[in-house]
Amino acid sequence: MRAALLSLILALVAGQTPAPLPSQNAGDVYICPMDPDVRSNNPGKCARCGMALVAGLPDPVEYHLDLSISPRPIKPGQPASLLFAVHDPWKNRPVTNFQVVHEKLFHMFVVSQDLEVFLHNHPTLGSDGLFHYDYVFPKAGMYRVLGDFYPDGATPQLIAKTVIVPGQAPKPATLARDYSAKDAENLTVELVTEPQQPISGAKTQMIFRVKPADGLEKYLGAWGHMLVASADLIDMIHEHPFIADGGPQIQFNVIFPRAKNYRVWVQFQRKGVVNTAHFDVPVKELGNYIARLPPQPN
Amino acid sequence: MRKCRLVFIFTVFLLSAPAFTHDIITTPVTWNREISRIFYSRCIACHREGGMAFSLLDYREAFPWRTAIKEEILERRMPPWGAVKGFGDFRNDQALTPEQLELVTSWSQGGSPEGEAKDLPSKDKLEEMMKESAWYGNAAHAGRQSGEIIAKGDFKLTNSFVLDGLFPRNVPQSGSFQIIAEFPDGRIEPLLWLEGYKEQFAHVFLLQTPLELPAGTMITGIPAGSSIALLPAPKD
Repeated sequence: MRAALLSLILALVAGQTPAPLPSQNAGDVYICPMDPDVRSNNPGKCARCGMALVAGLPDPVEYHLDLSISPRPIKPGQPASLLFAVHDPWKNRPVTNFQVVHEKLFHMFVVSQDLEVFLHNHPTLGSDGLFHYDYVFPKAGMYRVLGDFYPDGATPQLIAKTVIVPGQAPKPATLARDYSAKDAENLTVELVTEPQQPISGAKTQMIFRVKPADGLEKYLGAWGHMLVASADLIDMIHEHPFIADGGPQIQFNVIFPRAKNYRVWVQFQRKGVVNTAHFDVPVKELGNYIARLPPQPN
Repeated sequence: MRKCRLVFIFTVFLLSAPAFTHDIITTPVTWNREISRIFYSRCIACHREGGMAFSLLDYREAFPWRTAIKEEILERRMPPWGAVKGFGDFRNDQALTPEQLELVTSWSQGGSPEGEAKDLPSKDKLEEMMKESAWYGNAAHAGRQSGEIIAKGDFKLTNSFVLDGLFPRNVPQSGSFQIIAEFPDGRIEPLLWLEGYKEQFAHVFLLQTPLELPAGTMITGIPAGSSIALLPAPKD
């Protein structure tokens, strides 16, 4: 008995693999294509965004997104035509059938390297099977363009592209913590995070409070939209609220990947007006990572 | 004294134990369904028995590493692709997609469940997924290739060139380098954004579509002391 107890304690202390876990997924699984963590054993709609849950689990393959821009070279302040073409990853065939996600076939985010330019808009699908958008790049430098779309029979795609506008590029952004309340178009946005100091790789609750909250509406099928970008533009994350009910408090859960500074844009709609505000969030590393590595097997 | 020591050791065990007990499962993502598929297509070429790193082929092998795995992939240290996604398009791209990053993070944070055996990919599927890895066939590109051009510093092409890929050589182990092509007509194309590239995991970056570079194109952004092999597209 004593030996069994000791071996149990030793096993626990040694961090051995636990015994097989009880089944997590009995029967068919229905998944929200937009929020992959929302699943059910029964068909229905996503409680978070309202999309129909889909059965099964397609392999998460990455499609090809080609972005061509004319005229070239791109000139700052001059109109440019953006064309997005989607191809399948197996035979590079053009893909022209897409699911509507948050009321649109294609969501596009544009962010400049100094993080001063932010755009969330929706290229339209033409009869040529390409997504079209006319845009004026306001200044020279690097832009990251994020395409968010969902080909039929696939998984949702979030693909970044890079556009470089010739000319004198602005200096890269240097961000400092900025949680100050922001006056947007017709409401004020306040931010509190839990923990107060976000840690890389761990969940941060980002709790926004809007004033006034009367007349708050869903924007593109969600109570809010968030884009998170690291100051170096390597990480770009598109999130929707984790908890929101049309009231003044809207909570997003974010895992900041790295100990960097991040800019976070949020969009809320009130009385038909889309409000955009941004906050700057420095993210720190948790302690000594190496000390927590398990020993290398022989 | 001996009794006191035993009590002390037992108390230490009891205090230590909760950190290693079962985590509460808060994620629907499982090893057998999502995570094994990601690992088989992105990690197992090296992380397997007889491979160049410890095995992550099996749930029981991967489970103890769950926290380290999450941190390695979020920091983009693993898989060791060494380039930023979306700056140039590569047909052998091994970087994890945002969706894959989210799945592995959710699994690691949410108790890392194994799931049901029926969800594991078949052995045939496993082998097929492993072959997708860029590390297979890499050796074919490691040596000098006929027709390649070695670019150093700010490099100007004297003749037109159809670029099929890039192979960094002697790149600093840390740092971030954006290599671009400036065309004679003024347009700029992003070629490769090296970030944390390591010689230890040297590999070629093969373009999704060959890029025609006219004579006079400048290749800039190559770090000092480094060179980049510009690989020619095969002629028809």
